[in-house]
Amino acid sequence: MPLSGHLDVAPIASRLPVLKDLDTPAWPLPHAEVLQLAWEVSDDTLALLPRAMHPAVPSYATVCVTCYSESPIGPFNVALVRLMGRAGAHPRGYVLGAIASTPDAVRALRERWGFPAELGSVALMRYHDQIRAAVTRRGEAILEAALVNPEPISGADVQYIHSVTLARLEDGERTGPLLVQVDPHYTFHKAERGRPKLYRFERDAWNAGPLTPLHPIAASFTACDTDLPQIRFVMDADVPVAQGTRKIR
Amino acid sequence: MKFGLFYELSVPRPWTRESERTVYDNALEQVKLADELGFDQVWAVEHHFLEEYSHCPAPELFLTACAMVTRRIRVGHGIIVCVPEFNHPIKIAERTAVLDILSGGRLEVGTGRSATWTELAGFNASPDITKKSWDEFVRCLPKMWTSEKYSYEGEFWSMPSRTILPKVYQRPHPPLWVAVTSPGTELDSADRGMGSLGLTFGQFAEQEKRIAEYRRRIQLCNPVGEFVNDQVSTVNFLYCHEDDAIGVTRGRQMANAFNYLASQLTSVREVYPGKSYPSLGLLPQLRRQATGPDASEQAGEGLALGGPERITRALKRWESVGVDRVNFLLNAMEIIPQAELLESLRLFAREVMPAFAETKPAVAGGSR
Repeated sequence: MPLSGHLDVAPIASRLPVLKDLDTPAWPLPHAEVLQLAWEVSDDTLALLPRAMHPAVPSYATVCVTCYSESPIGPFNVALVRLMGRAGAHPRGYVLGAIASTPDAVRALRERWGFPAELGSVALMRYHDQIRAAVTRRGEAILEAALVNPEPISGADVQYIHSVTLARLEDGERTGPLLVQVDPHYTFHKAERGRPKLYRFERDAWNAGPLTPLHPIAASFTACDTDLPQIRFVMDADVPVAQGTRKIR
Repeated sequence: MKFGLFYELSVPRPWTRESERTVYDNALEQVKLADELGFDQVWAVEHHFLEEYSHCPAPELFLTACAMVTRRIRVGHGIIVCVPEFNHPIKIAERTAVLDILSGGRLEVGTGRSATWTELAGFNASPDITKKSWDEFVRCLPKMWTSEKYSYEGEFWSMPSRTILPKVYQRPHPPLWVAVTSPGTELDSADRGMGSLGLTFGQFAEQEKRIAEYRRRIQLCNPVGEFVNDQVSTVNFLYCHEDDAIGVTRGRQMANAFNYLASQLTSVREVYPGKSYPSLGLLPQLRRQATGPDASEQAGEGLALGGPERITRALKRWESVGVDRVNFLLNAMEIIPQAELLESLRLFAREVMPAFAETKPAVAGGSR
């Protein structure tokens, strides 16, 4: 069988985002902009990945910075760092860290979808020669990265891999840690591709342990209508998804 | 309809000193038996870095060993990655010619371009240009085999006039094939007069439509070689057992293991947005088949798993939609013990093969 993650959830369970239930309503999020950058990373990341998941071969991670210009709580920006892997046979991005730009966004992302969101500044700067992202937390820069030399591509050429968050459900008999699949829909209006460049990555701020970005893969920037959807699937973090997946709707 | 074997050479963890050798030894024993039983061809892939899924980076060496222990079965180099960072065209021409000589003119040559980021990035190759380099390579290869002197100046490679040696044993040259995973690639193969080497487990209706379009299109082709190879080949799993239920159950275990491993691969499409890889190739269907609690309920349409009667029905159906050849994956992660697998081959040859009369020559225009 393929390798699996080694993350021991029990010691960190008390610090996980808390979901009161799995009845999260969907948020339509029109007129969003998404910058995604991907790197192959060091091979020593199995300890970051839940046991239910397999690592990607080669190991790779994505930085995903999104500007939501319209939402039920007003405009906000979010930056994610995800370690990519497989939930069973499906590619998924396990969310290691998340920074959101407003307190309301932090609360909603944690309580509704299980993102490990913290408050910070998330900036996306669009230039003709590059599209640049900068993230700070507690006043300190923790990420600076860019898509360099953007070139137009078709939105049909872009595929975003769904996210998986690790949260704790506090819902009577079902209380406990679980993986939550977050699978937004996208309608693309514009897309560009370029080379990812990383200027600063403070891995401790992203709960990224030993993860070291090494070999650049690709970067994309899109304008799209998207959403944060209803929760459809949750998974036991410690057993293979074929046995531990629960369909919610 | 012709039948063949198709090897990825899956090696399960834990990897020991002997585990890879055992997989290779088992495969050679299977090929030797298949030759005796009347299977027509054996194909071996070129894959790199694909942990557990495929430990077969040098198929020409494996196929040479196959040729040395067999007398009749044809050997398919499938597929040669036609990307300069992987294989220089001169080396392709030379080593295929040597294999054709050593096998006594039994070589078939599959061509393709790789579909995984794992492999392309491993060789520092750009996914954006693989289709172009493949096209250039396949136009050159037959001329390198057949011209006394050859020179070339192109986009991806060039050479001054030289005599490329040795020459292939078959005349005019071995049949050429294109690996077909993404929809539309079968049209590329038709336009170039090359055989369609299907590597997906597509369903009857979809395959029938694609084969019909291939047949229509190849009538007007501009062949890259000196003859048109108008054969359509597809891939399937095989596990044949006297007890149909056992055959289905064991076969599904093997097929599911293969699909699960295949789904772990990092496709180009997953990480590198662009036009060069418009689809995930075989992966979406494999992921559907391999995922979730209901995976065991999905045998997949037309798979050759079960008793002889069920398998015969499935293969008759493939024949009816226009497939000329079926190449079988026999194992994954060594789930089927070798003795069972050999018995499956014997039973298939005894009970299923006689139901399929030859309708086309194995060599489409080439000769030994």
